[in-house]
Amino acid sequence: MLNKKQIDNIEGWLFITPPLIIFTIFIFIPMGVALFISLQKWNLLSSMHFVGIANYKKMFLSGHFWNSLLVSLLYVLGTVPVSIGLALIIAIMLNQSLHGISFFRIMIYLPVITSMAAAAIVFQYLFEPNIGYFNHILSVFGLPPLQWLNDRHQALIAVIIVGIWKRVGYNTIILLAGLQSIPRYYYEAAMIDGASRMQMVRKITIPLLSSVTFFVTVMQIIASLKVFTSIVVMTEGGPARGTDVLPYYLYKNAFQYHKMGYASAVAIFLFTIIFIFTLLQFKFGEKKVHYQ
Amino acid sequence: MILLKNKKRSASFIAALILEVLLLFIVIIINIPFFWMISTSFKVESDVLAYPPKLIPSVINLDGYKYIWTLVPFARYFINTVFVSVSIAVSKIILASLAAYAFAKIPFKGKNTVFYIFLGTMMIPMEVIIIPNYITLSTIGWLDTYWALIIPFIVGAFSIFLLRQFFMQIPKDLDDAAVLDGCSRIRYLFTIVYPLSKPALLTVGLYAFLSSWNSFLWPLIVTNSDNMRVIQIALKALQDSWMIDWTSLTAASTIATVPIIVIFFFVQRQFLEGIAITGLKG
Repeated sequence: MLNKKQIDNIEGWLFITPPLIIFTIFIFIPMGVALFISLQKWNLLSSMHFVGIANYKKMFLSGHFWNSLLVSLLYVLGTVPVSIGLALIIAIMLNQSLHGISFFRIMIYLPVITSMAAAAIVFQYLFEPNIGYFNHILSVFGLPPLQWLNDRHQALIAVIIVGIWKRVGYNTIILLAGLQSIPRYYYEAAMIDGASRMQMVRKITIPLLSSVTFFVTVMQIIASLKVFTSIVVMTEGGPARGTDVLPYYLYKNAFQYHKMGYASAVAIFLFTIIFIFTLLQFKFGEKKVHYQ
Repeated sequence: MILLKNKKRSASFIAALILEVLLLFIVIIINIPFFWMISTSFKVESDVLAYPPKLIPSVINLDGYKYIWTLVPFARYFINTVFVSVSIAVSKIILASLAAYAFAKIPFKGKNTVFYIFLGTMMIPMEVIIIPNYITLSTIGWLDTYWALIIPFIVGAFSIFLLRQFFMQIPKDLDDAAVLDGCSRIRYLFTIVYPLSKPALLTVGLYAFLSSWNSFLWPLIVTNSDNMRVIQIALKALQDSWMIDWTSLTAASTIATVPIIVIFFFVQRQFLEGIAITGLKG
């Protein structure tokens, strides 16, 4: 006869067996395998050939790799401040709003739940140089039309705009939840002391919101480093590798050129950057909370 | 004195009005792409190519929808997507709730360690492990099957975490009463915990459905035949084909988007609160 403790042990482990199996096969082992393949020369058809760190050396000597890293960093720099800044402004406005807050919350969130592939197709139409809506808007303000997706630099700006559009709603909802957790009496006390609205935002809202802001910023950086679908649908990394972000570079090397070893080295590199940001979030995320 | 008060009140009324109008304006700007998507899907070619662009079609034209439903087997893609997304949502609810229940209520050896290892899986981006997973699936002959689209996603750390938080709020008295009545754990989970946790289970199911419906990278890599295609990949394939026009493309995009938006309108409250509480996934 089993005692209570033994039954608990058996049942506990039984209940967590399905995720344990799935995570082992599709996450834990693959992490090791990715590292292993990154040390091989392999094109799927040939047998594997151990080459040590040659793939990493090749990567750091490749101009295309540095281009992709630069494009990814520019994409991060383009998306993060604007989408966090906009989200902060909209969240503060929503927090003051008396009516229709739930309606606005829903409408702001629609891009987040929409498929990126569908959105990217629609944006492609809007960015169309001859018939697109964006050039029409520019012309209304008397500005010359842009080439958008047909130009190396403008294409990057175009995918950045799409990236901001897609995530600003998510950032807003998280920041709004942070705002709503700030106790009302702080503002009431400040009001009694005669503080202006701007002073309250600067001295109460922003400091008390810093941990949530830090959280959404890190999440936004990670999401931006992983941008893929909009690139595949809108630009395929072009023109002239102007939007060839790291995940797309990795995908092309793996599944178009079948350079599995090299692509795995890029994957490990990408993982390292993302992991650093994740650790930052874990290390500083909680400590920066200014309120209890 | 009263006069001053009234003045102050009307000033704050005007400020509130300005705020609402501004918010409405922001919301409209953010949703402009949806207006264009839907309107273009009903346009005739001359409207599509008109400059300045026309938001309102001059005539309603259904050719785009007819084209993708008849010439392209879009119905098949749609059914594939629904099947895969529903399977994932259902299995995630069941398997994640079992694990969450164990983490919340059963004292077993190694519980905390395993829990943190599970949480750690959320830190690993799919991009990094996609090559080994592709190799695994090709070795067991699952490439281009429903298995490839479903099995890796039948359970997830995020769902386990969310449900565990919810189950922990169920009072211990209830657990003890069930034990005294000789109720088995599985029965307790299905007859007592499930009815109490409807909102949480619904949220998990919805997240799962939504992220499966919208997923792109994984199906792009593990499927290639027409029979296994899901909507998101079909959009990309349509866009690459020569005989496609903006009307059909936006019609396809509308079909890929509208079901999700409709579901979202019904359940948005739970959904948005779930995000605000966990803040873990977007």
